Amino acid sequence: MAVEPLAGEQMRLTRRVRRRIGSIALQVGLLAGSFFMVMPFLWMLSTSLKLPKEIFKYPPIWIPTEIAWSNYKDTLTALPFDRFYLNSAIVSVSSTLIQVLAAALAAFAFARLRFKGRNPLFLLYLATLMIPFQVTMIPNFILISRVLDWYNTYQALIFPTSFSAFSVFLLRQFFVGLPMELDEAARMDGASTLRIWWQIILPLSGPALAALSIFSFLGSWNSFLWPLVVTTSNEMRTIPVGLSAFQGEHNTAWNLLMAGSVIALVPVLAVYMVGQNWFQRGITLSGMGGR
Amino acid sequence: MRTRFLTVLALLGVLAIAVTGCAAAPPDAAAPGETVVTWAMWGSPAELATHQSVADAYMAENPDVIIEILSEPWGDYFTKMQALWAGGDGSVIPDILFLWPTPSYAAEGVLENLQPYIDRDGYNLDDYWPDLLESAKYDGDVYGFPRDIGLEVLYYNKDVFDEVGVPYPDETWTWADLESAANQLKVVDDTGRVSRYGLGMEGGKYMLWVLQNHGALLDDYRNPSTCTLDQPEAVQGLEFFANLMATNAAMTSDNLNQAGGDAAVFQAGQVAMIIQNASRVSAFNAAEMNYDVSVVPIPDGGRRAASAGGAAWTMSAGSDNKEDAWHFLQWLQSTNGGQRIYTASGEIFPALQSTAMSDAFLNPDNPPANRQAFLTEGLNATVGRFGYFPEWGYLSGNFVSPHINQIWTGDLTPADAAAAVCEGVNQYLQDEGFPK
Amino acid sequence: MASDASPSRPPPRWRRWRADQQSEGYLFLLPSLAGFILFVLIPVVAALVLSLYEWSLLSPGEYVGLTNYLNLFRRDPTFFKALGNTLYFTVTIVPLQLAAGLAVALALNQAIKGLAVYRLIYFMPVVTTIVAGALVFQWIFNKDFGILSAVIWRINELTGIPVQPPDWLTDPAWARPAVVMLTLWKNVGFTMVIYLAGLQAIPVELYDAAEVDGATSWRRLLYITLPMISPTTFFLMVIQMIGAFQLFDEAFVMTRGGPAQATTTIVYYVYVNAFEYRRFGMASTVAWVLFAFIFAFTFLQNRMQHRWVHYETEDGR
Repeated sequence: MAVEPLAGEQMRLTRRVRRRIGSIALQVGLLAGSFFMVMPFLWMLSTSLKLPKEIFKYPPIWIPTEIAWSNYKDTLTALPFDRFYLNSAIVSVSSTLIQVLAAALAAFAFARLRFKGRNPLFLLYLATLMIPFQVTMIPNFILISRVLDWYNTYQALIFPTSFSAFSVFLLRQFFVGLPMELDEAARMDGASTLRIWWQIILPLSGPALAALSIFSFLGSWNSFLWPLVVTTSNEMRTIPVGLSAFQGEHNTAWNLLMAGSVIALVPVLAVYMVGQNWFQRGITLSGMGGR
Repeated sequence: MRTRFLTVLALLGVLAIAVTGCAAAPPDAAAPGETVVTWAMWGSPAELATHQSVADAYMAENPDVIIEILSEPWGDYFTKMQALWAGGDGSVIPDILFLWPTPSYAAEGVLENLQPYIDRDGYNLDDYWPDLLESAKYDGDVYGFPRDIGLEVLYYNKDVFDEVGVPYPDETWTWADLESAANQLKVVDDTGRVSRYGLGMEGGKYMLWVLQNHGALLDDYRNPSTCTLDQPEAVQGLEFFANLMATNAAMTSDNLNQAGGDAAVFQAGQVAMIIQNASRVSAFNAAEMNYDVSVVPIPDGGRRAASAGGAAWTMSAGSDNKEDAWHFLQWLQSTNGGQRIYTASGEIFPALQSTAMSDAFLNPDNPPANRQAFLTEGLNATVGRFGYFPEWGYLSGNFVSPHINQIWTGDLTPADAAAAVCEGVNQYLQDEGFPK
Repeated sequence: MASDASPSRPPPRWRRWRADQQSEGYLFLLPSLAGFILFVLIPVVAALVLSLYEWSLLSPGEYVGLTNYLNLFRRDPTFFKALGNTLYFTVTIVPLQLAAGLAVALALNQAIKGLAVYRLIYFMPVVTTIVAGALVFQWIFNKDFGILSAVIWRINELTGIPVQPPDWLTDPAWARPAVVMLTLWKNVGFTMVIYLAGLQAIPVELYDAAEVDGATSWRRLLYITLPMISPTTFFLMVIQMIGAFQLFDEAFVMTRGGPAQATTTIVYYVYVNAFEYRRFGMASTVAWVLFAFIFAFTFLQNRMQHRWVHYETEDGR
């Protein structure tokens, strides 16, 4: 570099220009994509503030001529939404916790321990993902209502959805990416396996655990058919089940449905915003594939 | 990062312990001496309020009975009820259920035969619209009481008719009048874009035209031996509808769904007329529309053939409280009981003629003005739109609907589609050993 | 394996713990496995058993052996159509989803202006209800009244060129791409988040070393990023493929399987068999045939993965 300072300078310059152009193109692309991504949400928001007669106007109205804040009040009073909210929170938090904990233990075993039957067992986990919920729902319901006598309880809402092979698979794929030398060194120092899991593997897996938590919470929060089937009273029902009441046989109260959906979004977005903080490490100014 | 993670985990742990501590189901509260009748239906919050007022009115008259409402969302009501039956835990199956179509459930043995109760107590069946109970019969016996009759009328937007200068429809209208009106009312831009269609009607209602023209789908809708959709009268009915769509006089079926359904496009002024049952009235009134209704036009020499069907109140065969349930059922289906409350709420056209002739329905304060149209269609309403046997769902989904839909998409002519339908249906009927 | 273990090349050190990991492995698995067996495996096996029955959900079932399977292949008019549609969705959605998700994740793994907002916006569809999403899509694409179509009609009007918007959701040829677009819109945020998490696990030192060697950003992507996130890609590929094979919500909400069965997927057909036709045995049968397909594809991917998936531990496979 010392031999040809000029050429180096030039190279750096063109690189800077290229980076500049690249970043502008990137911003334009991201903006265009954003429009596409966020439009349905904006329509939801707009509909949630409309009077019935403006919902299907053509050409479409984005900003209602009369902003009907009362839709939010009507939605919340039409059904016991405070109870639905509480139930959704209880179910989603517990289910996420169980899911993450059980999956982190199991994924560790599948990724970093060697025992007989490991690979066939993992394959069995994977295989169950390939059977759609639509046919396992009824057997599961029979188990819950007849064998366990859990109909219309929190247990029925929480446990059956907390042991999906998805989460084990997700974490296992991250765990196998961590260098094996970490475990070796710890074992040399006399660490127990549980300690390795807790103090070495888990702390290094923040992003993966965050991603899993987000999706567990989201899945549980938005879950509809299962909570509908295993609950019967408003005391036990969750938000999606409550909201679906607005879609009637003949008429759908779109404005109330959308108002309810907007309210339901808030906790999920909060969980996401907290979770995505784990994806901040090693961000630099460099271009594609940047660290 | 590590401490933060551990903190979050610990917090979650505490929460989980708290949750499992309070994870107990609230027990059903029934005081001694009182009986509970569980009553299941679908409904929006507004409809639920009506159901609740019906239950309250009954409980006021019968203080020793508690009516417990189990309401489910419309979209998955049937999935839920089937799951309850499949689960086999009799204690969670409701005593009274809102169901459709009644015969296919009765055939499975899950419904109580109401005929013995009717005969014993002399419950009056003559007050129902003439053909309506046909839709709730199995093996000659009544298994359910339809709450309302889903007969169709022609809704028209008076503003649009006035704007174009087309006279309002009346009971003298024939298919030709409807077609010519729809063509005058539609608006096609120079570009070819249709900004207003004459008629919006769900493709699934095609049997209305077939039946009006003396056609039929099956030779016997309870125990068929052959498909009759390929007969000339039936094919003409299909052709009438297909032609309306092909000329943009009517919106195509998929386009209608995609634009939000008939109520949405009618309210938005994108169609001038729709053919639909009474369920749309409350929405159009809420949107303050200027509209009225008329009877559905018929072909020359044809007959009125609105749908004589409606979801029915049925009793579970496994109910452990049949006498109380029966008592409530009778009250529900009487002009002085449930029928009046439902009708006054403006959501239905009642199953009982006496209720329809009462103030509760003929109330002149709200549109539509021409309520007589409902009565006329009611006296002539018929069954026969589909098969009343358990295999019908599969038969229809695989051999009927796919070909019929291809008419509306323009991929098949009505005659070819009808031939394809009959080929598939006849083969299936033969394989399954019909007539049984 | 033991026979060719020559003294000069001892097995990797970690293998020595194998014996005592036998019980430890199951101990770690226990919480997950208990729930898994009870709430996942038993229902799945029950569904397999039910595929040998004729059961209407309402009255007791009847054992019919393999009749459901034979009928499905011999006489069912819809199954093969549904299978074709499902394969179409799988081969379109999986690659598009992976490419789009990776592109967004890479773009949003840099210090750019508005990063937090972009990350939120691209995740919005994942949390927006599918009902709202499908409605807006219908409303964008409607031939007569949609906004996308409005633009095309306007061009027609202004220029006189007789262009017409396609019949999007009412023309079988266009309905499938519309469903693909809805699925992409809905799920790209999911892929993005998993990729973002995967990108975090790449050691920074690798990039530092590459920078010193003067590697361009393109080469860094090709030789560091892609190999290092390949376990994530493998995960996403398998999960997305399973998801695409089981496509249901999008087709159910937006097109109800139509027009003319163009978007009737296998799982849609499972659903109508189970809860509309009340042929639960047949629904289970269809589900198990679908299982065979997914399993075969996953097995293939698993076999191929050693060619392109990079694992730190040697037993990643």
